[in-house]
Amino acid sequence: MDLRADVSATFTADGADAFTVHAGVDVDAGETLVILGPSGSGKTLLLETIAGFHDHDGFVESDGRRLDTVPPEDRDFGFVFQDYALFPHLSVTENVEYGTKYHDETRDAETLLAELGVDHLADRYPPTLSGGEKQRVALARALAVRPSVMLLDEPLAALDVPTRQSLRDDLADVLADVTAVYVTHNRTTARAIADRIAVMRDGQVVQTGTPETVFERPSSPVVAEFTGANAVPLSAVPSLRDAVDGATDEYVAFRPEAVRLDGASGDFEATVERVVREDATNRVVLSLDGRTVDAFADDPPAVGADVWVSVDPGRVHPCSPGTTEE
Amino acid sequence: MATGTDTDTLFGREAVSRRSLVATFIAVQVAAFAAAYSYGRPTWYAYFMVGSVAVTAYVLDGSPFTVATATVGSLLVVALGLPLFMFVARQSPSLVAEKALDPGVHRVLYLGVYGPLLAALVSLLLGVPLAHLLAEGFPGQQFVESLVDLPLVVPHSVAGIIILFGFGQGGAFPQISVLGSMVGMVLAMTFVAAPYAVNTTRESFETIDDRLSYASRVHGANQWETFRRVTAPLAVRGMITGGVLAWARAVSEFGAVAVVAYSVQFFYAPAGERVTAQHAPVFVYNTYLQGGLGESGAVAFLLLGVSALIFLVVRYLTDDDSVTGGMP
Repeated sequence: MDLRADVSATFTADGADAFTVHAGVDVDAGETLVILGPSGSGKTLLLETIAGFHDHDGFVESDGRRLDTVPPEDRDFGFVFQDYALFPHLSVTENVEYGTKYHDETRDAETLLAELGVDHLADRYPPTLSGGEKQRVALARALAVRPSVMLLDEPLAALDVPTRQSLRDDLADVLADVTAVYVTHNRTTARAIADRIAVMRDGQVVQTGTPETVFERPSSPVVAEFTGANAVPLSAVPSLRDAVDGATDEYVAFRPEAVRLDGASGDFEATVERVVREDATNRVVLSLDGRTVDAFADDPPAVGADVWVSVDPGRVHPCSPGTTEE
Repeated sequence: MATGTDTDTLFGREAVSRRSLVATFIAVQVAAFAAAYSYGRPTWYAYFMVGSVAVTAYVLDGSPFTVATATVGSLLVVALGLPLFMFVARQSPSLVAEKALDPGVHRVLYLGVYGPLLAALVSLLLGVPLAHLLAEGFPGQQFVESLVDLPLVVPHSVAGIIILFGFGQGGAFPQISVLGSMVGMVLAMTFVAAPYAVNTTRESFETIDDRLSYASRVHGANQWETFRRVTAPLAVRGMITGGVLAWARAVSEFGAVAVVAYSVQFFYAPAGERVTAQHAPVFVYNTYLQGGLGESGAVAFLLLGVSALIFLVVRYLTDDDSVTGGMP
């Protein structure tokens, strides 16, 4: 089953300006599309709108069947919520079996719970479960109805790091052959799970592509910022103009992994502003004309040092501010 | 602030020791009142209560703020509690026993429970859908909210007059007899009691996370099924509390009932026949006018006992903290 949607919906809340989501998704059968964006970018509202929870303009279509006037219960979706949304008055088994009476094709709750490693919790009630256990039960509940499309709203966001990593691996397996839209603000999760990524900002999709494309070739400084790439005005690094073959874009983007700091000369000179120890290496924050450029270095230079910065020319790409998908 | 857990309360004591502490405190208060009353000096008990609360707060917490709030708060408790203690203490057991055996009083007590029960059921039956709607929100909601809350601020005799204008002779439903009928009494009680059922149930619906409804809908349940399987079970305590409050409000209603249905005919199940009686507060007032404080006090004592008993039973049956519709 595939999923195509292009929706527009405006949301109002007391004391806040109206917020409009105007975005589309296009997911092929068996594909996992990750919607990546910062908090407040509208990705959850987009997902909920696709699910039918909010009134909207535009269309939602699955396998050629228009769903935008169809109520949520008839859209044949499964949904996993960030805060689990398990029914607190029902046992784990009753939660997983909740939707099965409304569907012809279903999966056995006991088997699903066993596959997700929580079958020993079958008779427990949600308030007595840990976050990881709740999310596995919520995942089982969504899978039990054999949905044509799975919608997942930051299912790992509320979990601690070890639980998140463990569940992320299980999710990758579960979603391997399922048509899914997965919302997250975590780029590590996005890279691990996505077949394609749609980056969202201010209620709009600003770039869609494979993880390699979005992370390596961000279309705009906004996407670069959110995917952890550097976006620098060409005016600040004229030596990189050749690398983009005379493109007329105002910016160039390159990943921190493409930056080297150990040369006696390079593409430009910058000052080491800060060094941050990360899992396996160091992230070096460089200052260049009041802008920052990130690099990775196993043996980082001292803070305050002026260093030559070289960028792999094959990994320098043009990008333009204000690039938005239609 | 207190969060409801056993260890995080104002006084920071464990549940068991707190319960025994409360039991001891109540026993001391009862003994002190009994001593002061038998000595003919109930005023002394008032001073004792305020002083004992201040000392208890100081011993348990020690904070000047807590001692001050507990002391000032105890003044209100004295103002509310002392008349009640005096009321109970001053009843004549023989007169109470005589009234307790009076078939006429039985009918009044029966009607005093049964009439409000009907009003509470009507308030819930019609109030729960409205409460759900109000919790969801809709255009013009404020107008409806104001209308629902109107009986809370209207003098109840005025409410009775309004009902007579609306539903009495020449009113909206001429085929229904309201004046002096059971229908009129239940209507008058529902008018003043419904806001409690609606507002309490509505608050209960509002505490349920929207995503529980979303989860229900997206996995196949339509709106009716979602209400039946998720929303209503999670709000049931609020509904029962709202029903009990509405019932209690109807039990205590005097003004509207006195105007609309001063005396009514109803089917009295214990005797298996139709009888005529007055709503208990009206009957208590009449007894006061005709028989004085002593007789009306005995009837009031019985009504208070029955009401307290029903209230405690319902609270006991609905005392369950295991459901958390607010997630996670």
